[in-house]
Amino acid sequence: MTNTETALKDAMGSIEGALGVALVDYGSGMALGTLGGSQSLDLNVAAAGNTDVVRAKLRTMEMLNIQDAIEDILITLGGQYHLIRLLTGRGGNGLFLYLVLDSRRANLAMARHQLKRIEAELEV
Amino acid sequence: MTAAPEVLAELEGLRARVPHLTGAMVASTDGLVIAHLVTGMEPDGVAALTAAALGVGARLTDAVGHGGFRELLVRGEHGYVATYAAGPSSVLTLLATADANVGRLNLEARRAGARIAPLTGGPADRRERAAAPPPPSRSPLPSRPGHRPGSTNPGNENGVSS
Repeated sequence: MTNTETALKDAMGSIEGALGVALVDYGSGMALGTLGGSQSLDLNVAAAGNTDVVRAKLRTMEMLNIQDAIEDILITLGGQYHLIRLLTGRGGNGLFLYLVLDSRRANLAMARHQLKRIEAELEV
Repeated sequence: MTAAPEVLAELEGLRARVPHLTGAMVASTDGLVIAHLVTGMEPDGVAALTAAALGVGARLTDAVGHGGFRELLVRGEHGYVATYAAGPSSVLTLLATADANVGRLNLEARRAGARIAPLTGGPADRRERAAAPPPPSRSPLPSRPGHRPGSTNPGNENGVSS
């Protein structure tokens, strides 16, 4: 079991090509923790914006009558991958991990696998 | 007030951009409405209550040594009331439903507050625009006399005359 800070450090340190990571509460749209980012990548803005992405998907599933849960969401940009992974269980309900990757350096399959491990170990 | 149409345009922009927003208002720190988009309630009453809450909030941040007033967020059973500093003499108050994205609300309202500040006569709030961590700030409200001697001369501390 790891805490938020350790999980974010783990994500930035062990995932190749990571540019920034945040743990976000999509009930409020606010980040519980952020690491990395830059002048051009404000993770608090990303937290608020991606909250809308997650909520829209959940609403769509509800309208389609799909009785299931989102495991992760992948957004592919020209030069970046954005990975959203929803937390499951242990008080992590209503939270997601948000990871920004440099697509030239990142291995998407490996990044997704590692983020899944970090999420599984994370206790909020 | 002559700036009201521009302030109102700013509020309309906010309403268009921020989902779950049910009302928006700009008021002076002493509780007078400058512009509002509020329906179903009396804006004057909301502005007066905002001023009262603001007074307590500013005193509280001052008392614990956290500088001037920046924001006040109140969550009720059915929604949020959030007040943001908009220059030294006015505040922006937003009403939102309980499922509002508060992160987004904060981001949009801080930017709007910085844009509204020069319209309501105060100097543009450079702290919100600066990328660096904000320097210790003075309160938009007059502090308690004698408590913080450095902040009893509003409007002139930064060498900016309004």
